Amino acid sequence: MINPKTIRAQFPIFSQKTPNGLPLIYFDNAATTQKPQSVIDAISGFYAGYNSNVGRGTYWPATEATSSFESVRAQVKDFINATSSKEVIFNAGTTDGINKVMNSHLLPHLNAGDEVIVTEMEHHANFLPWQHACELKGAKLRMVPLIDTGDLDYKAFEAMLTPKVKFVAVTAVSNALGVVNDVVRLTKMAHAVGAKVLIDAAQWVTHKKIDVQALDCDFLVFSAHKLYGPTGIGVLYGKTELLDAMPPLAYGGGIVESVTLEATAFRGLPHKHEGGTSNIAGVIGLGAAIDFVNGLGLENMHESTQLLCNYAIEKLNLIDGITVLGAPKERAAVTSLTVDNAHPHDVSAFLGEKGIAIRAGHHCAQPLMDKLQVPSTCRLSFGVYNTIEEVDQAIDALIEVRNFFA
Amino acid sequence: MNDKLKNLYKTQILTYAKDSTYEGELPYATNTLEAYNPMCGDKYTIYLLIKEGAVIDAKFKGYGCAISKASTAILVEKIIGKELSKIESLVAVFLDVINEQSKHKPETLTSDEALLAFAATREFPERKKCASLSWDAARNMNL
Repeated sequence: MINPKTIRAQFPIFSQKTPNGLPLIYFDNAATTQKPQSVIDAISGFYAGYNSNVGRGTYWPATEATSSFESVRAQVKDFINATSSKEVIFNAGTTDGINKVMNSHLLPHLNAGDEVIVTEMEHHANFLPWQHACELKGAKLRMVPLIDTGDLDYKAFEAMLTPKVKFVAVTAVSNALGVVNDVVRLTKMAHAVGAKVLIDAAQWVTHKKIDVQALDCDFLVFSAHKLYGPTGIGVLYGKTELLDAMPPLAYGGGIVESVTLEATAFRGLPHKHEGGTSNIAGVIGLGAAIDFVNGLGLENMHESTQLLCNYAIEKLNLIDGITVLGAPKERAAVTSLTVDNAHPHDVSAFLGEKGIAIRAGHHCAQPLMDKLQVPSTCRLSFGVYNTIEEVDQAIDALIEVRNFFA
Repeated sequence: MNDKLKNLYKTQILTYAKDSTYEGELPYATNTLEAYNPMCGDKYTIYLLIKEGAVIDAKFKGYGCAISKASTAILVEKIIGKELSKIESLVAVFLDVINEQSKHKPETLTSDEALLAFAATREFPERKKCASLSWDAARNMNL
């Protein structure tokens, strides 16, 4: 079991005080996690120590920058158990990855009358690109409904699956409710009708080990910044044969073997898909974040955050006037709740003044909010530095808010 | 609760937020205003009965935080019986009361306590949009 109190010391932000002079209690980890000193040092270490562009320079520091950059690719390959580093494409983040798969893989294959399936719990990032593609091509976007627990309706999904379905985009973990989906089962079901599958692993990446070979998914995306790494950098995993067949995700420098007016020969994977100068410092930071996570052990992190989340839900369920949304079979360390007579923004403003950061809003999941028949919720999401005492303070504050607005 | 927060959630604001006097639809409305903040989902429809250049009656329907709801209720209360030309200056005064960059102290802008109750929004710039939501819609109404 890891000790949040010692881990906390590795995160410089917790030595700061809020404007009210209070310690920061940070429960918005589903939006972004805080950064350990090792990640911050890796990024500044790159800029201060061996800053250079990667790929082509034959001089130091270009050689060192390139080798560090590519070693992170190998690190990511192991982290998600890809078959090859070539299947790891760096990009700006989950949203960027999804948009690029939509543009480069789906659009060329999608025809009028085809269908694309998403779920009712998708983040807008895994909804809007597919809606756009369907509108563009006259295809139909369908949505797998949820059952009352917040779990996906797998029977409804099965009934939707016909040869018309070309693509299924599903999140592994709901960013708003914390519901964990059985992505192995979903992928298998989708493949049975020949559909390709993209898994949004943005929230999953701190939940459990990702094994893309066991999942057998066609694409998987996540961001570094929800993994204790920097913002602006993410990973797109794709199966080699699919990435090979796709036109470049972005056209620009670094992706070609040769260019003439008549014809351009593109480089192989992964470089073909990384046009332009990459977020090199971001990649270096991602590498340090993976080191941080591996150092603690993903399973230990999972155990620690899960304990906090379960403890919070158990306590919250006993409190009149506070409703925890959803009761899924499996939940990641994320939970949404409502407080009677108090709007989520009022709740978060109250907690904010006490130094407690929670998220209020629709969590970029408006179809889900419609389903739950609430305009917005309060969300608590847990990180490795959170403690039981912090959970107690948040719950006391929630009770105070409930009483104030009663 | 700290004093800063107490100042934001004044009794007056909470009273308006919980009061349903002005809530509902106006079946004989001549105009409606839509106030929507896509960032948080707060949404109000304000129904107006306008005759001969004045608001004869008004109501609102919608959902939002205590600050946006109270400010909508106060807007509705204040514009009932007012000529449109006077509403314009009322809206300008309110928006200045909540503007943290204003050159004027709130109490020099108005003596209306309901409007002044929102002056604490100046301390919470992130909640300014809550207070101004419906008033922005009124400012842009082009009636």
